[in-house]
Amino acid sequence: MYFARGPLRPLFPLKSIQSSISVAFSCLILVTIAVTSLIQFRLSVDAVEKNSRGYIEEVIKQVNTNIQSYVDNMENISLLAMTNKDVKYYISNNSFISEEERRPYEKRISDLFQSILYTRKDIASIMVFGYNGRFVSDRRITSLNPNAKVEEQPWYRNAKNEGGKSVISAPHVQNIIQNEYRWVVSLSRELKNTDGITADGVFLVDLNLSVINDLARQINLGKKGYVFIVDESGNIVYHPQQQLIYSSLRTEHIAEVTTAGSGDSFTVDDDEGRRFYTVQDTNFGWKIVGVAYAGDLIGYKSTLRNSILITVCGVAVSLLVSVFLSHRLSRPIRNLQKTMRMVEKGNFDVKTEIGQMNEIGQLGRTFNMMVGQIKNLMQEIIETQENKRKGELQLLQAQINPHFLYNTLDSIVWMAEQQKHEEVVLMTSALAKLFRASITKDQEIVPIRVEIEHIANYLLIQKMRYADKLNYELAFSDEILPYRTLKILLQPFVENAIYHGIRNKPEPGTVTIRGYATADAVVFEVEDDGLGMTEVQLARIWERQVNPDPGKGGIGIHNVNERIRLFFGPEYGIRIRSELAEGTCVSITIPKVLD
Amino acid sequence: MRIQRFTLALALLLLAAAVYAVFDFKLYPASSAPEKTVTLLLKSKNIRTDYWQTVSAGAEAAAKEAGASLDIEGPLQETDADAQAELLEAAIDREPQAIVIAPIDDDRIAQSLQRARDAGIKLVVIDTPSKLKPAPVSVSNNHQEAGRQAGLAAARATKGNPYVAIVSDFPDSVVSAEREKGILEAVSSDPAHNAGTYYAEDAEEKAYALVKRVLARKPGLNAVLALNEPAALGAAKALKEAEVTNRVTLIGFDSSIYQIKLLEDGSLKAIVVQKPFNLGYLGVKSALRLIDGQKVKSTYIDSLIVTKDNMYTPENQKLLFPFNQK
Repeated sequence: MYFARGPLRPLFPLKSIQSSISVAFSCLILVTIAVTSLIQFRLSVDAVEKNSRGYIEEVIKQVNTNIQSYVDNMENISLLAMTNKDVKYYISNNSFISEEERRPYEKRISDLFQSILYTRKDIASIMVFGYNGRFVSDRRITSLNPNAKVEEQPWYRNAKNEGGKSVISAPHVQNIIQNEYRWVVSLSRELKNTDGITADGVFLVDLNLSVINDLARQINLGKKGYVFIVDESGNIVYHPQQQLIYSSLRTEHIAEVTTAGSGDSFTVDDDEGRRFYTVQDTNFGWKIVGVAYAGDLIGYKSTLRNSILITVCGVAVSLLVSVFLSHRLSRPIRNLQKTMRMVEKGNFDVKTEIGQMNEIGQLGRTFNMMVGQIKNLMQEIIETQENKRKGELQLLQAQINPHFLYNTLDSIVWMAEQQKHEEVVLMTSALAKLFRASITKDQEIVPIRVEIEHIANYLLIQKMRYADKLNYELAFSDEILPYRTLKILLQPFVENAIYHGIRNKPEPGTVTIRGYATADAVVFEVEDDGLGMTEVQLARIWERQVNPDPGKGGIGIHNVNERIRLFFGPEYGIRIRSELAEGTCVSITIPKVLD
Repeated sequence: MRIQRFTLALALLLLAAAVYAVFDFKLYPASSAPEKTVTLLLKSKNIRTDYWQTVSAGAEAAAKEAGASLDIEGPLQETDADAQAELLEAAIDREPQAIVIAPIDDDRIAQSLQRARDAGIKLVVIDTPSKLKPAPVSVSNNHQEAGRQAGLAAARATKGNPYVAIVSDFPDSVVSAEREKGILEAVSSDPAHNAGTYYAEDAEEKAYALVKRVLARKPGLNAVLALNEPAALGAAKALKEAEVTNRVTLIGFDSSIYQIKLLEDGSLKAIVVQKPFNLGYLGVKSALRLIDGQKVKSTYIDSLIVTKDNMYTPENQKLLFPFNQK
C-alpha cells in the first residue's frame, strides 16, 4: 500500500508569531485557570459540605443535650418521689392509714409535688397512682376524667411492664384529669415497696410538649431546614409537618434514620432538593434528626460564584493583555517583513524603522545596511554593463571607420589610375584581410598572431597611403604568440599615433609596435616619434569622453582602458608616456591567457 | 490575523459572560429573597379559634417549605365581614403576588376580590366558596363527602336501618347544605329513613328544644346528625335527658373540647373532623404554584371520622387537639 505523504502540517497553521504567541498564552492561561478553579470549586464544595455537616451535628447535639436534660430532670423528680417516705407509705399496700390520716399525707405529698412544679415551668403535672386505688397529684383537689381509665393509659401499662425502670412516652394528649387536654411527654415508672420487690403504684411526670416544640422550632438550620424526632421503632415523635405526613402529603426518610447510628449523617437528593440529615441518639431511645438544605447554606453559592466571576474576569483581562503584548512584540517584525517585501519587489530605497535596540532592532539595522550594500553593488553593475556596451559599440565603429574606408578606397582608385597594379592588389587584399578580421565577431578574444596580422594589414594600408611619410616597425617576441589578446586592441593606438602624432609632423615619422612577455604579463607598446603631448593634453585623454566624435575616428583611450580592465581585471590596462616634440609611447599590459 | 481575531472574540465572550454573571448576581438575590409574597386572609385570627390557628400553621409550613414570605391577617370575629373587607383592601394595596382567603359571605368581599384579580394578584379561596365569578381556584373541605361519611356511620350504628334527624343551622348555609346533601346520599331521603332537617340557628338551647320535640314526635328515631357544634351539644343534652343516649346515635361535625368530652363519655358516637392544617398548607401551596404560572385545579380535602375508640391514636390526636404555638 502506498500513502501519499506530504510534509506534516500543523493542525492550525499559524500565520504570524503574534497569533502563535497569543494562542499559546491563551491556552496556557485558560488551562491553568480552568484546572485551578475546578480544584478550588471541588475543595470549597467539600469544605462547605463538611463544615455544614459539622455545624448541623453540633446543633443537633445541642438539641439532644437540652432534651436529655429535660428528661433527666423528670427522672430526678421520679427518683425524689420514689425515695420519699410519705409517698411510699401512702401507696403501700400494707400501710393502714385511716380516712382521717389520709388527708395530711395527701397534703404533704401534694405540697412536695407543687413545690417541684413551681420551680419547673416545663413540668405540666406530677401524679402518683397507688395500686391500692389511692392517687395524689400536684393539685390539691383533683378530679380524674371519669371516661379515661388510668389502667388503660399506655404510660401506665408500659411502666408496669418495665417493672421499676422509667418509661418515656411519645407526645400525647393527657386526658387523665377532667377537663384538661394537654400535649405532654410522660415519664412514668413503677414504684416499689420498701422491700424493693413488691410493686405499689405508678409515678407520672408530664413534660409540656411545648418545651420540646419550642426547642425544635427555634433551631435555625437555614431557611428551610428543620429538626424532627423519631422513637426507636421509627414512629414520629415530633415533626414540624407531622399532619402532612399523616395525610401522606409528605414523606420523611424514616428508614434511613432508624438504621443510622448516633452521629451519622447522610445526604438525600430528590426533587425537594439536596439536603443533609444528621442523626443523634438520646439515651432514652429517641433519635433527633437535623435536616439542612444544601441550597440554604448561605454564602456557599455566592462565594463560589464570586470566585468564578473573578476567574472569568481574570481570564478575559489576561487574554486582552496577551493580545496586546503579542501585538506589540510582533509589530517591528511585521514592519521589517513589509520592508523586505518592498525590497523583494526591487525597491532598494526603503529603510525599516528601528525602534528599540533589542534583537529585532539589531536585525532591522543589519537589514538596512545590507540593503544599502546591495543598492551600491547594483549601481556598479549597471554602470559596468553600460560602459561595456558603449565600448563595444565604439569598437564596432572603429572597425568600420567610414573615413578610413573612403580614404583607403580613394587611395586604391588613385593607384589604379596610376596603373600600379601590384599596389592595388596588395592594398585591396590587405583591406579585405583587415575587414575579415574585424567581421569575425564571434570571439572577443583572439590569438595574438591574429592581432599581429591585423595590425600588420592596417599598417600596410596606412603605409601605402602615407608612403614615405610613415615608417613602421613591428617587433613581436615569439614567446607571446601562444597567448591571446582582446580583438583589435592595438588598432586605436596605432591610429592615434598616425593621425595625432605623425600626420601633422613635417618630417616622416615612425611607429614602432612591440610585443614581449614579462614574468606574468604580456606587454604591447605602441611608440611614435611624433608631436607628443603636453601634460594638459595627456590629462585630457584620460577624461571620460562623454560624446566621442566618431568623425575624428578616435576611440577614447579611457574606453579602451576600461575594456581591458573589465575583461582582465583592474591590475591591467594602459600607461602613456609622452613628451612634447619627442613622441608618445603607449604600453598595454594584459595577462597571459593561453588557449 | 484570523487566530488573533478568534482570541479577541474569546476575550469579548468571556467579558460578556462576566458582565452577565454580575448582572445575574445582582438580580438573583433580589428576586429570590422576597421572592414570593402571599397574604393569607382568615375568617378569624383570634388565637382562641383553634381551627384558624391550625390553618395558619399549615400555611406557614407551606411557606417555609418554599421559602416564601407569608402575611397572615384576619378579623377577631368570624362574622366580622366589615373587618375582613377592610383587611382585604389593605392587603390588595400591599400588592402581594397572591392572596389566599377564607371569605366571609359578603358582597363587598367579592367586589374586593374582583379588584385584586384586576390588579393581577393570584387568588386562592379556601374553606368556603366566594361569590366571585368565574370562581377562582379553591381549596376546601369536602363537606358533602363528610356528610356522606357521617350518614354511613349512622347507618352502620343502626345496623343499616337508620331513621335520621338532621340538626342544621340555617337553610341558606352553604356548608350545612352540602353536609346534608352528603348525609341524604348515604341514608336516602326516604321518609322511612329521614325524619327531617331542623334549623337550630347556631343556638344550643334551640337545638335542645328541637331534638326534644322530634324525639317526642318520632319515637322510632335512632340517629341524630348535628351539623355543627351548638346543635351537637343541644342534641346531646336532649338525648341524655330522655335517657336514650344508647339507643339514639348522635354524630357531630368539627372538633371542640365540648364535643371531645361528649365523645369520651359516649354521648357522641362519632365526629367528623376536618383537616385545617392541610387546608392552610394546600391553600398556600396552590397559591405558590399559581405564582409559578402552573395550572392549578381546585382541591377538596377529605374529612376523617373519629370515634371514642380511635380518638387517641397519634394521627387523630393531632386532628382533635390542635397543638398551636401561643
